[in-house]
Amino acid sequence: MALPGPLRTTITPPELELVASEQLVEIIPLVAMERTAFISGAYGPLRPPLKCKVPLWMATNLKMKKKCHIIPPVWLNTDYLQDRFNEETTKEEFSRLPFRFMEISKVLLDVASDDFQNPDKLRSLLKDIREARQAKSREGISKLDHSALDLPNLCAMEINEIRPFFVRAMGVITQLVREPEAGQAMEP
Amino acid sequence: MDDEYYSVEAILAENQKIQCQFKLEVKDMGHLEGGNEQHIKPLSKIQVPMWMAYILIYSDYADFNIPPAFSARVRNALNAEPRSVKLANLVGQGGVWYSFGKMIMKMLNDEPANEMSRLLVKTFRSRLSEVIDQAQHFASINAATSAAGGDGSIGFREGLDGTERELFALAQESTRMMKKWYETSENPRK
Repeated sequence: MALPGPLRTTITPPELELVASEQLVEIIPLVAMERTAFISGAYGPLRPPLKCKVPLWMATNLKMKKKCHIIPPVWLNTDYLQDRFNEETTKEEFSRLPFRFMEISKVLLDVASDDFQNPDKLRSLLKDIREARQAKSREGISKLDHSALDLPNLCAMEINEIRPFFVRAMGVITQLVREPEAGQAMEP
Repeated sequence: MDDEYYSVEAILAENQKIQCQFKLEVKDMGHLEGGNEQHIKPLSKIQVPMWMAYILIYSDYADFNIPPAFSARVRNALNAEPRSVKLANLVGQGGVWYSFGKMIMKMLNDEPANEMSRLLVKTFRSRLSEVIDQAQHFASINAATSAAGGDGSIGFREGLDGTERELFALAQESTRMMKKWYETSENPRK
């Protein structure tokens, strides 16, 4: 109970970003490096100009030292995101996006915006998608009851954002709902 | 909200007074009535706190009336528009309307209890989205302009029940954290 209140209820966005930085991304290294063991596993060898898969944290690190180009993930381009956005605005359910797309797209656009063709367009698309999804999770509030809430394809960051008050609100409703007594359970 | 032994909210809710009608004479307890009578007479109506009412009612010393916070008038108002009722004003002392309602519900049986439960759940659910909306709104605007939001929303916030206040704070905090995270992304990390 030594943690400050906000940290007790959920984990923070920067922590989620840290978790997401274990995801693999493809890079084109500009320096050579032997296969190297890290705590999370062995990566490499880096042989320019061959592509290589490394964790996001390593890619960011190399990128900031200008020692690699990051190849954008397949889902991080304007066409794909535009499709998802159209889906998001026309259909009722959440569109299928990688579970940690928010974290990864943010980190990549931060450090490697020069590796993307149209970073500004990407940013605004991501923002639109996020807002469309937010509107949907808001609707989830009205469907809230004491037993379950079904919001498929919600991503890590969104789950994290709504977790504290959804959990609390469901707890409150559980308290307020009167369970039928044992003898009456069978009645309609 | 939960009736745990250590829950401060439950203790506060137990402090709410409820009107009881005594069925028996209780000797030397007239001071509870606040008058000069020495004994409590049968059929006299006395406001007693919930924690005392439990034992009186279960031991069949007294009957209780539904407190005004859950009267037909309030029910009708809640049916008409749950968001326009100031729950905090109904109970006083930090406004623990839901907890109080839950206690009353537990003392009722069958249909009245179900009705109470329906009332509480319906009210809670229909107010919840407004609570969250306002919390998110307040997390996203600056402290300087926090007076904005229109008269209706100020009235709504003033009428929040203690439980709703907690939810408001939770939603506000998580929105604020998200916003902070997004904003740090604006300037590249170098």
